[in-house]
Amino acid sequence: MPRNDPTDTGGLFIGRRPGTAPVRFRTPPERGDDRRRRTDGVLAGLVLVIEALLVLSVWGPQPVGWLWIGSQLDYRTGSVTLGIACAFFGLIATLILTLMVATRLDGLWQLLRRAAGHDQREGMLGRIFVVTAVVAAAGFTAWFLLLEGPGSSLAPR
Amino acid sequence: MGLRDYYRQFEAMPPEEISAELRARRDERRRTAVSKVDPLDLSGTTWHEPPHPDAVNAATFALRRAVNEPPDLAATALREALAAHHGVAVAQVAVGHGAGELLRALLGRVVAGGGEALVAWPGWQPLPALVEGAGGVAVPVAPAAPALLARAGERTRAVIVTSPSDPTGERLSRRALRDLRSRLPEQALLIVDEALGEFAPGGDDAAGLVADLPGLVVLRSFSKAHAMAGLRVGAALGPAELVGRLGPSGGVGAPGQAAAAWALTPDGLALARRRRAAAAAAHRQLAAALAGSPLAAPPAGVPFAWLSSDAEDGPALAARLAAAQVFVAPGRLWGDERHVRAALRGPEAVDRLAGALRG
Repeated sequence: MPRNDPTDTGGLFIGRRPGTAPVRFRTPPERGDDRRRRTDGVLAGLVLVIEALLVLSVWGPQPVGWLWIGSQLDYRTGSVTLGIACAFFGLIATLILTLMVATRLDGLWQLLRRAAGHDQREGMLGRIFVVTAVVAAAGFTAWFLLLEGPGSSLAPR
Repeated sequence: MGLRDYYRQFEAMPPEEISAELRARRDERRRTAVSKVDPLDLSGTTWHEPPHPDAVNAATFALRRAVNEPPDLAATALREALAAHHGVAVAQVAVGHGAGELLRALLGRVVAGGGEALVAWPGWQPLPALVEGAGGVAVPVAPAAPALLARAGERTRAVIVTSPSDPTGERLSRRALRDLRSRLPEQALLIVDEALGEFAPGGDDAAGLVADLPGLVVLRSFSKAHAMAGLRVGAALGPAELVGRLGPSGGVGAPGQAAAAWALTPDGLALARRRRAAAAAAHRQLAAALAGSPLAAPPAGVPFAWLSSDAEDGPALAARLAAAQVFVAPGRLWGDERHVRAALRGPEAVDRLAGALRG
């Protein structure tokens, strides 16, 4: 198979650049009318918001939730190890579950975008992860520095 | 269309599925495309494979040395190897730019001024022109000792025999040549063009007679069995006072000398024997393929066949082969309307030739 990465071919593109091929359908799709396409566009936006919120939950609510569950377990059983293990494995499990759901949502979003008339070649999951990570990091920093305040070693009272 | 089906029609095909579809489409296109038949040129007599890599290495080694200097003008190493191989004195060996050039030089000394040269015909196709070019008179004679002896006379200065013959592949044995030499007029030089000598059975070539017969000159070539036609190296074996004047004044190029010297090593000689065996096998393959048809070629050890048919003449045969993109040398080049000469360039080419011949 010929290599088409320009770094492998002395700057020459051989064939199409990776990821730039047009979308190929098994059969040419029968598109809906304008109203249906507008509806699909709105639905796509809705799915994107849900997908973003779901991914955002990975950076805050899910870890916090599992820490709370772990602490409750520690409190009720008196076993710190059990609490940490529960929080750790629970967090991993929901992370995987979240990724599975987010992947399906991303696929659904692509279908809705195409149904709405867009030449949608890629999903948004990767970008959403980056954006939500930035948002979560900024939110945590703001909470930590402005709302909660630094710890005593940084700003002793 | 249901809601689920409506959205599923917007699913993109995965890359593996796209590739499989493109491959299937390509295969179908190839299957239905008009097949292109490449032309097969069987009109020559040179070996169809390149020279042995060691011969090329020897030539390259010589080339990468001091080619700004002239080569060994006397080609000492090559002449010594030739003399040892053919059992003659070094002084009886001349090296030149191919057997044809040596023959031209020889004829210039022998038949110039209207001397008559009997040319065993059919023979090497340029022979009559070479005789005429040297100022002699070429007389074609049937390639058999009685015919040559019957035609030889006081005016005859040379008798030229191609053995093995190009185009027929027939050859004169040492015994026949010795007999011919002994019965020819003394002034008539017997010249044997043995460019295809490597395809003769071992121990029965004319070169082995040079040490014994003073009125004999044998020409050898590295262009045929050794596949070095591009290097232009040949040799003349004969009386020292005659062949000593045949070599080119500037000598033969160093790469050609080196490659030819390699051809005379045990490895080079073994290669020539393998090619002789391959040529004989090609003849057997062709004979088997043509069995039961009106087509025939006399058995020979040379890498070409002198083909004829009971059902059609030579031009019709050549035209039929040409229609199948197989090109052969028509017999009319030798004044023969019954035959064509076809090179046997390996088993696949012989198969295709046989297929085209049988139609």
